[in-house]
Amino acid sequence: MIQPLVVFRGIEKTFAEAKILRNVDISLYPGKCILLTGNNGSGKTTLLKIIAGLETPSHAEIAFSGKTQSWKNTIRSVQKEIIYLHQQPYLLSGTVESNVSYGLRFTSLNRKQIRELVKEALEWAGLANVAKNQAKTLSGGVQQRVAFTRAWILNPKVLLLDEPLANMDIESREQALDLLKRMKSDGMSIVITSHDANIIDGLIDSHFSLSDGKLD
Amino acid sequence: MEGILITTQKALHLLVTGDQELWSIVILSFSVSLKAIVLTTPPAMLVAYSLVNGNFPGKRVILAVFNSLLSVPTVVIGLFLYVMLTRQGPFGDLRLLFSQTAMVIGQILLCFPILVALGFATINAADRRVRETSITLGAPWWYTILTVLYEVRFGLLAAVLTGFGRIISEVGISMMVGGNILGYTRNITTAIALETSKGEFAQGIALGIVLLALAFVLTTFLTYVQGKQGMSK
Repeated sequence: MIQPLVVFRGIEKTFAEAKILRNVDISLYPGKCILLTGNNGSGKTTLLKIIAGLETPSHAEIAFSGKTQSWKNTIRSVQKEIIYLHQQPYLLSGTVESNVSYGLRFTSLNRKQIRELVKEALEWAGLANVAKNQAKTLSGGVQQRVAFTRAWILNPKVLLLDEPLANMDIESREQALDLLKRMKSDGMSIVITSHDANIIDGLIDSHFSLSDGKLD
Repeated sequence: MEGILITTQKALHLLVTGDQELWSIVILSFSVSLKAIVLTTPPAMLVAYSLVNGNFPGKRVILAVFNSLLSVPTVVIGLFLYVMLTRQGPFGDLRLLFSQTAMVIGQILLCFPILVALGFATINAADRRVRETSITLGAPWWYTILTVLYEVRFGLLAAVLTGFGRIISEVGISMMVGGNILGYTRNITTAIALETSKGEFAQGIALGIVLLALAFVLTTFLTYVQGKQGMSK
């Protein structure tokens, strides 16, 4: 029986008296992929951002490392293991290399080690040929792959992807999907929101739908 | 008309021949204003960032106060500082009145609200994803601030240039707390006021040309910076 990496319980979120999320529970398992569907405004992005620690819930508890505590007390330590990717990723000013190395600056690695890791990651993602390019000048599909690589290099336990394959052409989508499959096989827990379940069919282990603030 | 032409000729002569008194005034002006802008920018940007991203009560009131301070006349700031620094004032023992330090303090008071208000507008318009991306990639809070500021650097540079243009061209503060002492606290604007009152227009016009040239350079640079900002989006 696989133990979950982290469990979020009783997530509630209220915006100006409107309940966006009602008592949502979600468990994240290593090497498993969850698909989250729901209409526009159903709270998918809000849920992902609460899990990533980027938005504060009205109420939530986290079970992590054998303890269950409030979201507020636990999120800082859980946040280190989770990376959230926007629907349209924001690539920072600078080259692809500098974007991919961004998160490594806050680790104990030295410059040489970072350079080597970045080189390896860019080769892994098939981005070595654009390493020196200005990240913002790349096409949407390539930018998305740069964002995946920037996340993958940090080896997070959980990856949260908000509509990652939307607005991509078929070739970029297949390349991105291939990267996601490799991330999953590396043991990452992945949560994806998508309108179209068919696109990521081969990746999904479980499927939840958000409606009226509840997860079914 | 002939008088104006002769005076302008004299002014240009002073500029071109490198008149020592005139250029020492110009250097002093730049020295004081550069110190003021360098000392003001970091704390003003931090305050602006906190007003955008901080979650504390009274944010709107603080912002309203800074916006109101934008229209405070420089002579009022000069008067306030004079009262503080005069011998009988609370900071009289520091003996700062009629010094370059007093001018720097006054110019800091003048440009701090400008940089906070313009910095707030720039940071507030920054893409929300910058901060979220930085946090989710594990950046510490101070690096996230630097990342956000770097991403909107062209807008912030425009704010700093606007602030610099404002303080180097102010006269009220420099006159009241600097005292217009030649070689020590006389800057471009106080020198123009003095020379004009004496009926000696040549040096005043020469210094006016320097200020106009500065305004032209700043505006050109601002236009260039705003163009870069537009391209980087």
